[in-house]
Amino acid sequence: MPLNEDELFKALSDAVVGMDEDTAGQLATEAVDRGIDAYTAIERGLVDGMGRAGELFESEEYFIPELLLCSDAMYRGLDILRPHLKVEDASQRRFKVVIGVVEGDTHDIGKNLVKIMLEASGFDIVDLGRDIPPQRFVDTAVAENADIIALSTLMTTTMDAMAEVVERLQTTNLRERFKVIVGGGPISKAFADRIHADGYANSAPNAVKLVKLLAGVPA
Amino acid sequence: MTGYDLMTPVERFVAYGRGEAVDRLPCVPIVGNTAARIVGARVSNFRGNGRLLAEAQVAAYRRFGYDVIRIFTDLYTQAEAMGARVHYPDDETAYLAEPAIHSVEDIASLKPANPHTDGNLPHHLEAMSRAVDAVGKEVVVTGALTGPFTTASFLIGTETLVRLMLRNPAAVHLLCELALQGALAYAKAILDAGCTPSLTDAMCSTTVISPKQFKEFGQPYLTRLVEFIQNRDRAVTLHICGKTRAIWEQMCDTGAACLSIDNAADLAEAKAKVGDRVRLMGNVSPSEIMLQGTPAQVRAAVRQCVWKAHDNPKGLIVASGCSLPVETPFENIDAMLDAVREIGWPVHSDKLEEAWTA
Repeated sequence: MPLNEDELFKALSDAVVGMDEDTAGQLATEAVDRGIDAYTAIERGLVDGMGRAGELFESEEYFIPELLLCSDAMYRGLDILRPHLKVEDASQRRFKVVIGVVEGDTHDIGKNLVKIMLEASGFDIVDLGRDIPPQRFVDTAVAENADIIALSTLMTTTMDAMAEVVERLQTTNLRERFKVIVGGGPISKAFADRIHADGYANSAPNAVKLVKLLAGVPA
Repeated sequence: MTGYDLMTPVERFVAYGRGEAVDRLPCVPIVGNTAARIVGARVSNFRGNGRLLAEAQVAAYRRFGYDVIRIFTDLYTQAEAMGARVHYPDDETAYLAEPAIHSVEDIASLKPANPHTDGNLPHHLEAMSRAVDAVGKEVVVTGALTGPFTTASFLIGTETLVRLMLRNPAAVHLLCELALQGALAYAKAILDAGCTPSLTDAMCSTTVISPKQFKEFGQPYLTRLVEFIQNRDRAVTLHICGKTRAIWEQMCDTGAACLSIDNAADLAEAKAKVGDRVRLMGNVSPSEIMLQGTPAQVRAAVRQCVWKAHDNPKGLIVASGCSLPVETPFENIDAMLDAVREIGWPVHSDKLEEAWTA
């Protein structure tokens, strides 16, 4: 017997939590074929599943490997459903985050997790990648009309580059336009305060909470 | 032995291990590339220059008077010797630019490193021999050895490796076995140089993988490596970065004699859980306290560590939670040693509590 809509959303969500890329793809295709609203399928299926995966990560039942495979399943479904979003859903202005690992560092697993969790929470993400010079964060944030700049590093040698992003925003009178948030192994709340960042998070789920707070979205 | 201390590090460790009187607790601010600052070198000068690396590490030991010398520049030396591409900034710690391979099919192309010919390994070995020749009678010289799982992650890329753990575990075991063979050969060369291998398996942290995954992909290879070293009568220190509470028992099961604990973990908890099995080493925050803090904050952090774990059944080494950042101020390293000297031995914990909670 075919699944009703609620069951299909639940199955999509389960496929994400279960790290089952193929099933996520099949169910997304089925949703498209049956003319089910893509936005609803994304929200109640894929995003719901990634939210549950994030909770399992927070409770230390899931770790980075599981979270990455959940996101693979989520993206498989998203690739299929996104082209079928109604114009108003697709073009809806969403809170935009420019994210990257600062210059001098190539550790990007932490940044990637934050990116995945933010994307799963409905934010628009511009991922610059790793080893990014300070000015590129600024230029990209301006060009993309972003709301937040998120900076990551695992190395103490590159922490100063975070301060430099904030300074460049100040000297070009752009500081008020963007919120700057920082995270990564050597970073602390005290460091974030000292460089006048707007926020610090010590984990990917907490980074999502921080962005929601800054965006004024109910957590 | 420096002017402040009454015993050499070797004398101190021997006496401490026997439960005899010592002048102070052992103390190891884990000085890595900061040693370049002692001799006025640039960090990248250490590349391919065992003589300079030894000179800097010996000079740093003499300058600060800590209890273990560790020949270390970065975690990538073994992976580099197996084909990973490492980027060397002019005056900062090196980092991984590109893993050796990108897909499971390429695993067949990898060979365990030969420590006498490949990458920077021969130069690190030279540094170890030179440091042992210079001060080996008074202080233990260790050679940094990266754990097999972590080296495997540098060989194929971390994200690829952790995905494979769930999708193709056999491929991960193949990579870990290759990394282990390279590590065993390097460990043998380190021992032959008169040094003690000191193990770091950063990626085994439960900040990254689960305790179950550590048990499957980390622990078995570490155990074989530790066994090999212990068979040569050397006590092994095992460091895993980040969160480790859930794997302390398993870390002990590898046979390691000492666990070096990151500041993301708690010494008091470690003492309660595994203190009767292993010596503990840690865990002043390298970034927040040692790099960015004041000497007063360093002293307070040291007193807190000592208060928590000085009565650890298998002993305590006061240390930073991980390698120190290059630019760690000298006065903060001095403050760590001075705080340990002030506390002295035996430790009177009632005074400590007042000092750090005040």
